[in-house]
Amino acid sequence: MTARPSLTVDTSDPTPPYEQLRRQLAELIQAAALSPGDRLPPLRQLAADLGLAVGTVARAYRELESAGLVSSRRGGGTRVSATAPSLPDSERQRLLHDHAKAFVRQAALLGADEQQILTAISQAMATCSPAS
Amino acid sequence: MEGVLVLAIGACVWAGVAVTAWLARARPRPAVPVRTTVVPAAAPVPAGATAAVPAGVAAAAGAAVPAAAARRTAGFRLAGVITGLAAGGTAAASGLLGRGLLLAGPVFGWFVLAGVVAGEISVRPVAGRTRRAVVEVRRVRDYLPRGLATAVAAATAALAALVTVTTVTAGPDDLGRAGRVLLLSCGPDSWQVTGPWPGSFYSVPLAVIVAAGLITAGSALRAVIRRARTGADPDAMAADDALRRRAARTITGACGILVALPLAGSCLVSAGALLSLSCRPAWWTYAGWALLALLIPVVALIGWCAGVLLAPARAAAVAPSAG
Repeated sequence: MTARPSLTVDTSDPTPPYEQLRRQLAELIQAAALSPGDRLPPLRQLAADLGLAVGTVARAYRELESAGLVSSRRGGGTRVSATAPSLPDSERQRLLHDHAKAFVRQAALLGADEQQILTAISQAMATCSPAS
Repeated sequence: MEGVLVLAIGACVWAGVAVTAWLARARPRPAVPVRTTVVPAAAPVPAGATAAVPAGVAAAAGAAVPAAAARRTAGFRLAGVITGLAAGGTAAASGLLGRGLLLAGPVFGWFVLAGVVAGEISVRPVAGRTRRAVVEVRRVRDYLPRGLATAVAAATAALAALVTVTTVTAGPDDLGRAGRVLLLSCGPDSWQVTGPWPGSFYSVPLAVIVAAGLITAGSALRAVIRRARTGADPDAMAADDALRRRAARTITGACGILVALPLAGSCLVSAGALLSLSCRPAWWTYAGWALLALLIPVVALIGWCAGVLLAPARAAAVAPSAG
């Protein structure tokens, strides 16, 4: 069974919550974790789950719609557009390396050695869903 | 009139309960510095940095929430059942010419629904600085008990059909009250009258309260679907889904009582009236017996719904990780 993708909002982050949502949803769509035609959660449901205002989620959805990643239809909810661009494999690989480098840099700053870094990655892979 | 009074008092009581539930939800929780940032267990925490709660602790804290939510929603549900029994009993004892008795079931169901809504409103949303939600679309049909919902839908259709026919065929009684008896012409100058008959005298207030109950049920189901999740980890989500399923079962059960009790009453009264007329056509006899036969599944449905409403929730199914 494939784990369902999840969204995380950090209210202490200086990035506004709507932008955090927009960025994560855009990444999920571009990484094909959300396929064309997939329905996004209803505004009120997602707002309740994240403890945010409905307007905050609505703004994130509007931004995604402006970027052509999703389309909204009255009564049909908000769905991933059929024309939503997905990342090519080369770009996917580049992003993976970038994230890995950033993590290793951060871990080194914390004083972790190679074994500790590998252990941390194993633990994270055991507890986190691929798309979360 | 007394029925309207009972409803008005009940509505006021439940409005107060709903406000209390909402206020309980809005009360701020103690601040818990939860962060989901992954930090290796052996890594030293820099001085001055926010202490990260280990994933296991966060998961344990998240798993405790459904147990509290389960207790709170069960409390409101029980309060709904108890006040519903009281209000239904009051309605049954009041009302003109058996009208209160006919409305007792819907009144009971309406109070149970109000209890479920208040319970769902009382579930507090996610707090803390880091919030997580799964990308999912929750739908009513994912939580409804299919068998019971189908039976309740069939009973609703049967009630609507029966009451429509009885309303159309009813006549005024000897005091001129419209829609209270059944009149049958037995000859050029001969009439037979039998009552009570579920004409407009009974069916109009019944339709109003059943429609209000079904609308409330729809709102209750929406509240069940839209309320915040009590956690985003798999264990908490499974417990939360069980909680929603339990609420949806209660709503369906309340709808069943709301519809099946007046249906049983209407069947019984209509069959009695049809079979009591001596000059009735032959097909009225069949119709009367068919209505009596219909009573068997309807009574079974009432028993099923009562079991759903009164049986305690299986603790293991609601909150597997509750301590």
